[in-house]
Amino acid sequence: MPASRSTRIVLLVYGLVVIGLLYLPLVSVGFASVSQARYLSFPIKRYSYKWYAEVLESGTVRDLLFTSLSVALIVMILSVVIAFFGALAFARYEWRYRSIFQKLILLPIFFPQTVLGLALLMWFNALGIIPSWKTAVVAHLVWIAPISTLIVAIRAYSFDPALEEAARDLGANTPTILREITLPLLLPGLVSSGLFALLLSWGNFPLSLFTTGADSTLPEWLYAKMVSGYSPLVPTLGIMSVVTSIVLILTAFAVAWLARSIRDSHAA
Amino acid sequence: MNSDALLRLENVVKKFGRFTALHGVDLEIHEGEFFTIVGPSGSGKSTMIRLLVGMDEVSDGAIWLRDKRIDETPAHERPTCMVFQSLALFPHMSVGQNIEFPLKLRRITPGKRKARALELLDLLRLPRDYYFKRISQCSGGEQQRVALARALAFEPEILFFDEPLSALDYRLRKTLEKELKDLHHRTGKTFVYITHSLEEAMVMSDRIAIMKDGRFEQIAVADEIYSQPVSRFVAEFMGEVNLFEVTSTGGLLSGSGLEVDPDVARTDLPEGEKGLLMVRPEYVRFGDGTDGFEYTISGRLLEEYALGSRIQYEVETAGGRIVTVEKLREDRATSESGSDVTLGFDAANTHLIVEN
Repeated sequence: MPASRSTRIVLLVYGLVVIGLLYLPLVSVGFASVSQARYLSFPIKRYSYKWYAEVLESGTVRDLLFTSLSVALIVMILSVVIAFFGALAFARYEWRYRSIFQKLILLPIFFPQTVLGLALLMWFNALGIIPSWKTAVVAHLVWIAPISTLIVAIRAYSFDPALEEAARDLGANTPTILREITLPLLLPGLVSSGLFALLLSWGNFPLSLFTTGADSTLPEWLYAKMVSGYSPLVPTLGIMSVVTSIVLILTAFAVAWLARSIRDSHAA
Repeated sequence: MNSDALLRLENVVKKFGRFTALHGVDLEIHEGEFFTIVGPSGSGKSTMIRLLVGMDEVSDGAIWLRDKRIDETPAHERPTCMVFQSLALFPHMSVGQNIEFPLKLRRITPGKRKARALELLDLLRLPRDYYFKRISQCSGGEQQRVALARALAFEPEILFFDEPLSALDYRLRKTLEKELKDLHHRTGKTFVYITHSLEEAMVMSDRIAIMKDGRFEQIAVADEIYSQPVSRFVAEFMGEVNLFEVTSTGGLLSGSGLEVDPDVARTDLPEGEKGLLMVRPEYVRFGDGTDGFEYTISGRLLEEYALGSRIQYEVETAGGRIVTVEKLREDRATSESGSDVTLGFDAANTHLIVEN
C-alpha cells in the first residue's frame, strides 16, 4: 500500500530529526576545533585554524597517529587473513567440530570490552609480556577478528560449493581454485571486513586502555586530555580522526566502484 | 584388462559411515553412447556420478577408463567433465571467460582460446556477442548452453550431466532435451546423464539404467525397459502401468479377475508359480465382450482425465482393482462415468514379470 502524502512528510521529518540528533554532537566538536578561544562558548567570537596547524606540527600527535595507524593496519591485515580461513571453516566446509567452532569464535564479540581488556592485561602479565602497542594488536584481534570472520562468512554462505568442484573438474588444482574462484568471489567480503577491522581498531578505546602499556593510541590520548588538561587539540584531533575514517570509507567505495566499472568495461 | 567399454565399473561400493550408498555395482558404458542413469532420490545415482567424476572416492571396487584405472585419480586429472545441476558457472567471469577457463588452465594462448570459445558459441547456437556478456545477463536456457560450451571446451572423453535440466520450466526443458540429443549426434561424444525423470531419459538415451537402493535394477535400451521391465519397481517407475497378480495353472495365467481365452499361447511359467502380468494402459481397450480379446476383465468406469493428446480412464474392477486405460483423443470412449464396461487386451501386448 503506498503511503499517503502526509505520512511521507511525517516520516521524512522524523528521519531528519533522528539523523540531526545523531550528527549534531559531531558538529559541536567541529565548532570547538575552529574556535580561537581555549574553551568553547557560543557564539564563537573568532574562528581560527591555528589548532589544526598546531596538531600538524606536534610531535606527540605524530607519535599518536603513528601508533594508532600501525595498530589499525596490522590488525586489519591479520584479521583479513584470519577471517578468510576462519570464514571458510565457518561457512563453507562441513567438519566435525564446526558448530562448536562457530559458537566459540563469536563469543569474544559478546564480552564487555573492558573485561576482555582487563583479562588480556592479566594474561600478558602472567606470561611476563610487557604491554606495548604490540600487545594491543593482539587484544584488538581477539575482538575484531571474530567480527571480520562473521562478515566474510556471510559472503561465504552465499557461495555455491559446486563452483569449486566445477573448477576442479575442469582441471584446476587447489592453488588455482583458490586464486581463480574462491578469492575473487570472497573479495567483496574481504574488503569490507578489512575496512571494518581498520575502523574498529582505529577507534577502539577500552581494549587499548588496558593493553597498550606505555604507548598511547589516539582515543586513549583524547580521553586522557579530557580528564586532565583539556586543550582544543582534543576536538581538533577528534575531527581529524573522524575525517580520516570517512576518507577511508569513501576510498573503499571508490575502489569498489572502480573495480566494477573496469570489470564491466572489460566485459561489455 | 580387455574390454571394448570406454568406462567400466567393477564391483563399486560406496559407504558413508555405516550407510551403504552403492552395493557393488558393475557397469559398462560404450564410446559414443548416450547413457542415462535414472532413479528416485536416494537411489544412489548422485553418489554414482560423484564417484565417476572423482569428487568422491570409492570404498571398494575399481573404475576403468579404457584400460586405465582411474578411481584414485583426482577430479582435476581425469579426462572427464561434468555439467552440474546448479550449472556452477563462475559468476565473476564473462561468458567467454567461463568457456575459456579449461583452456586457460592448459596454457592455450588467448587468441586460440577465443577462437575456440566462439566456435563453441556457434555450436550451441548462441550469438557470438554473448562472448562478452555476464553470466547474470543470460537466461536460464542460455546459461545451460554456456555450461555445456564450457564442458565441451574441456574436450572430455566423457561428458557427465547431473540433472542439469531439473530447475527449468517444462517447455524449456523439452526444447533442451532435444537440443542435447542433437548435440550428442553432432559431437559424437559419450554422454552420461543422471536424472530422476523417466521422460527425460526416454527422449534422449541410447541405453537407460534404472537404479534403486544403490543397485541397478535393469540396464537396457529405452524400449526394452518400457515394454519388458524386470520388476514391479521398474514397471511402475517407467510410467502408468497395470499389473495383475497371476498364477500359472494348466499352462494359462489366471487370477486378479482376468478371464482368459483358453486358446491363448501356453506360458513358460512352471505350474503353480506366481508372476505379475503387465500391460501398459495404451494396450487396454474397451470392448463389448465379443471382440475376441485374449484377456478380458469387467468393471465400472470411474473417472476420465484429459492428458492433452491422450485421454486416461480409470476403471474399477469387481475385486476393487483400478485399471488404467489410455486412448488417443480421437478414439475417445463414449461410456459415461459410473457405467459398466468390459476391458480387453491381447497376450502379445503383455509382459510377465517374475520377481524372485
